[in-house]
Amino acid sequence: METSKANLSALIDLADQGDEVSSDKLFVLLYGELHRLAKCQLARQGEVSISATTLIHEAYLDMAARDGASFPDQGRFMGYAARVMRGLIIDHVRNRLAVKRGGQFELTSFTTNVEDAIKSDEELTRISQALDELARVDSSLSQIVDLKFFCGFSFGEIANMRGLSERTVQRKWEKARIYLHRSLQADLPQ
Amino acid sequence: MSTLTPEQWEQVGPYLDEALELFPEQRAQWLLSLSQKDAKLASMVQALLDEQEQVEREGFLERPPLQTGSRLAGQKVGSYTLISQIGQGGMGSVWLAQRSDGRFERKAAVKFVSTARTGRVMEERFKREGNVLGRLIHPHIAELLDAGICSDGTPYLILEYVDGEAIDQYCDEQKLSVEARIKLFLDVLSAVAEAHANLIVHRDIKPSNVMVRKDGQVKLLDFGIAKLLAPDEATATQLTVEGGGAFTPRFAAPEQVTGGNITTATDVYALGAMLYFLLTGSHPAQTSRQSTAELLQAIVEREPPRASALALTAKDAAEKRHSTPEKLSRQLRGDLDTILSKALKKNPQERYASVSAFADDLTRYLKHEAISVRPDTFAYRTVKFVRRNRVVVALATVAFVATAAGLIGTILQARTARQQRDLAIRERDRATDVTDFVTRIFKVSDPSQARGNSVTVREILDKAASDLQAGAAKDPETRAHMLFVLGTVYDSIGIIDKAKPMLEQAVQLQQHLLGQENPETLRSASFLGVVLLEVADYEGAEKLDRDTLAIQRRVLGPEHVDTLTTLARLGALISYQGRFAEGEKIQREALDIARRTLGPESPLALTLTTSLVGTMVEEGDESRYPEAEKMQKENLAVERRIFGPDHPDTLAGMAHLGWILLNERKYPESEQVLREGLATEIRVLGAEHPDTLDLRNYLATVLMRQARYREAEQLFRETRFAQQRIFGPEKPQTASSTYNLGCLAALQGKSVQALTLLREAVDHGLNSQTALDMENDEDLKSLRGNPSFTALVAYAKIRNGSSHEKQ
Repeated sequence: METSKANLSALIDLADQGDEVSSDKLFVLLYGELHRLAKCQLARQGEVSISATTLIHEAYLDMAARDGASFPDQGRFMGYAARVMRGLIIDHVRNRLAVKRGGQFELTSFTTNVEDAIKSDEELTRISQALDELARVDSSLSQIVDLKFFCGFSFGEIANMRGLSERTVQRKWEKARIYLHRSLQADLPQ
Repeated sequence: MSTLTPEQWEQVGPYLDEALELFPEQRAQWLLSLSQKDAKLASMVQALLDEQEQVEREGFLERPPLQTGSRLAGQKVGSYTLISQIGQGGMGSVWLAQRSDGRFERKAAVKFVSTARTGRVMEERFKREGNVLGRLIHPHIAELLDAGICSDGTPYLILEYVDGEAIDQYCDEQKLSVEARIKLFLDVLSAVAEAHANLIVHRDIKPSNVMVRKDGQVKLLDFGIAKLLAPDEATATQLTVEGGGAFTPRFAAPEQVTGGNITTATDVYALGAMLYFLLTGSHPAQTSRQSTAELLQAIVEREPPRASALALTAKDAAEKRHSTPEKLSRQLRGDLDTILSKALKKNPQERYASVSAFADDLTRYLKHEAISVRPDTFAYRTVKFVRRNRVVVALATVAFVATAAGLIGTILQARTARQQRDLAIRERDRATDVTDFVTRIFKVSDPSQARGNSVTVREILDKAASDLQAGAAKDPETRAHMLFVLGTVYDSIGIIDKAKPMLEQAVQLQQHLLGQENPETLRSASFLGVVLLEVADYEGAEKLDRDTLAIQRRVLGPEHVDTLTTLARLGALISYQGRFAEGEKIQREALDIARRTLGPESPLALTLTTSLVGTMVEEGDESRYPEAEKMQKENLAVERRIFGPDHPDTLAGMAHLGWILLNERKYPESEQVLREGLATEIRVLGAEHPDTLDLRNYLATVLMRQARYREAEQLFRETRFAQQRIFGPEKPQTASSTYNLGCLAALQGKSVQALTLLREAVDHGLNSQTALDMENDEDLKSLRGNPSFTALVAYAKIRNGSSHEKQ
């Protein structure tokens, strides 16, 4: 694990170039990081829940501090981390819905505008699959969904991260939602 | 629905970007021009935009995958403690909260405004205005108690909590009748009127924003918010973009779709749409299978179906209104159709000028009083001629001629009422007869001048009138008779402004001398009713007719011909005011009596049938046209058999049938009937007989509707030429032909020519109804927005007296 940690910057570079093996490695690495971090946070703060946004920020700071100056900029990192966060959240929901285990940490998304219902893990999985498909068509769209929907970043924050205008982020978000909605509808048994 | 291939997605992507950058209301136009370049691509973009609507509606991916909701419970917002979430809307979530200072219990609704949708601008606005918000206090408006910003930056509003149901659900669950629904709706109107008085426009009125509490109290939601959320000029664009669909498409007014000015008229429209929905169970612009783009287009372009027509197919809706489709349709037909259509006008300026005016008409409807708005159907549904008056006047003539017969037996004695009516319709002939009469009575020096020339008739009449005023008849009773006769003659040649005071005087004198119940007094009164109708004093005419009728029923009996005549005319008059259901009922009653007492093939019964059919068609309910057509065909067959094919009544029946077919848009059949009738009329009555000209007019209209403009123009011109000779240039008949020529020009886009002709028509005796309705005339649509046309409309209103406006 130590070696892969050291290679994080290199992995991101390779993944950027489309190297699938590196992408997978990166995923595993980030997943482990985020999961570990979430547990630490939980231990430190007791029963308080952690928001996905906080977690991912923490992860960045944590890893950047360890990796030093070569660590990729926040924007590039977030793109990958958000995808990982998606997996983490789906697993979390799956576990929680299956059995309430002790010691599980509570993940939340930031916002006051939340309905009191959790999406099923099947539903999230289907969204996730559609997102992966979308990533192949236009990865910038899928990243925005990860950041917005799964991690709970605001349009403004995403715009800053990705160096885009807020309006462009919003438009991409709309496009992504159209794409996902369409492909989820198409998946439904008629 | 299928997933797009990456190639398709790549192809459509840039266009989708472009479409998403547009305001929703601009998209239809944009799509249209795209489809001209690449139809397949346009339909793909359209499909994706429709998808977006669905995404918006479902709030797809708007809620994060993990819960935090329960964590908010127990938290304090202002002086309220959140209890549980009660809603999630486009704007954000809504929570039930309780006042926590312990002094008194009060529940409230806390509405969090999602910043994702509204953007930072809204946050600023809340900071700036939240605390100084003007409060709208009204029993039917949910009060805004407080507003502020949460520590995480989310703006919130604290509103009076309304424990109830949306008005449409409430109405359906309670199975409220049409009247009960209107009463409830009037509460909504009073709330909106109050807001408007405070210069607040709601902009998003829809059933889900109108709650009804369990105690039946109506509460409008989101009114206070409207002001808070309304863009000021500086931020308007940004807000519209950031707010996305700031309005709800289903209840949006045309100007919201096209990006026009939002005014109180916008709320009037939304209220109209809501009432339409409450009464029929259907939306005025929405059909079941329709994309949002189509819906928006329909809102802007398509006239909603008449509520009454819609009701016929709505079994479910009828049940929920304690009614049957037929009964519901009957209830909506007439006044309610008219009121709804006024509120739902595409042009904001044509709607009710205020919510109060809207409420006034509904109140009048509930009290069975005449509403302020005239139905707007006839301007384009019927031929612009004196058609409408024809039957009513014809009925009146029965009374007129009967009286005249008593007075001057030598002329009219031998004629049956039927023949007398024919005579009366043929104005020139009548004028000749009357001329003889006048000549004899007043001994005009040169009788040779008085042959069939209406100008001479006019001179003689004027002389007679001035003689009468100068005291020609010493005996008051004779004087009253003469006033009456002169009045009717003036009326018959269309000089109504002279006819009216004479008849009024005659009635007054006769009432004084002979008493109210004298048959002559009654006849004079009955004819005065016709004149009041002609000058569009509907209220006066109706009151007079009702009074006359009551006395006739008592004195002459309910089945007397005179009584029936007044009754039938009252029915026609009521229909004429747009209260079709009521008018039709009365006419049917008169017809039933006439059929029973005089026989189904009696002239009066046949006339009444024609009148009734006219009402059915003028009502504009297309679903009843086939019935009307059938009745008219049967009636015509009887007239043919009894009177023969060349009889004026038969010919009038043919003209009527042609007119019905014209309304049914059965142009070829209409043309055939009219051409046949025209040939006969030319042969029997002559080419320049008023009836012949009438028919020619219908025929020209049929051609016009088929876009055969050149043929139509020739016929209109011929007609006008003849009318000028027969009636003179200043007569309504001539003017209406000029008007029709103007319409023809407008339809062909010749606006300068159209405006010249219309101006000429207005200046030279165009009947006031047509003149006042010019701005609504569909044939003149191409002129709308043209400043000269606007000026002409205003000029016509001034010329025709603004008092008509209300009628």
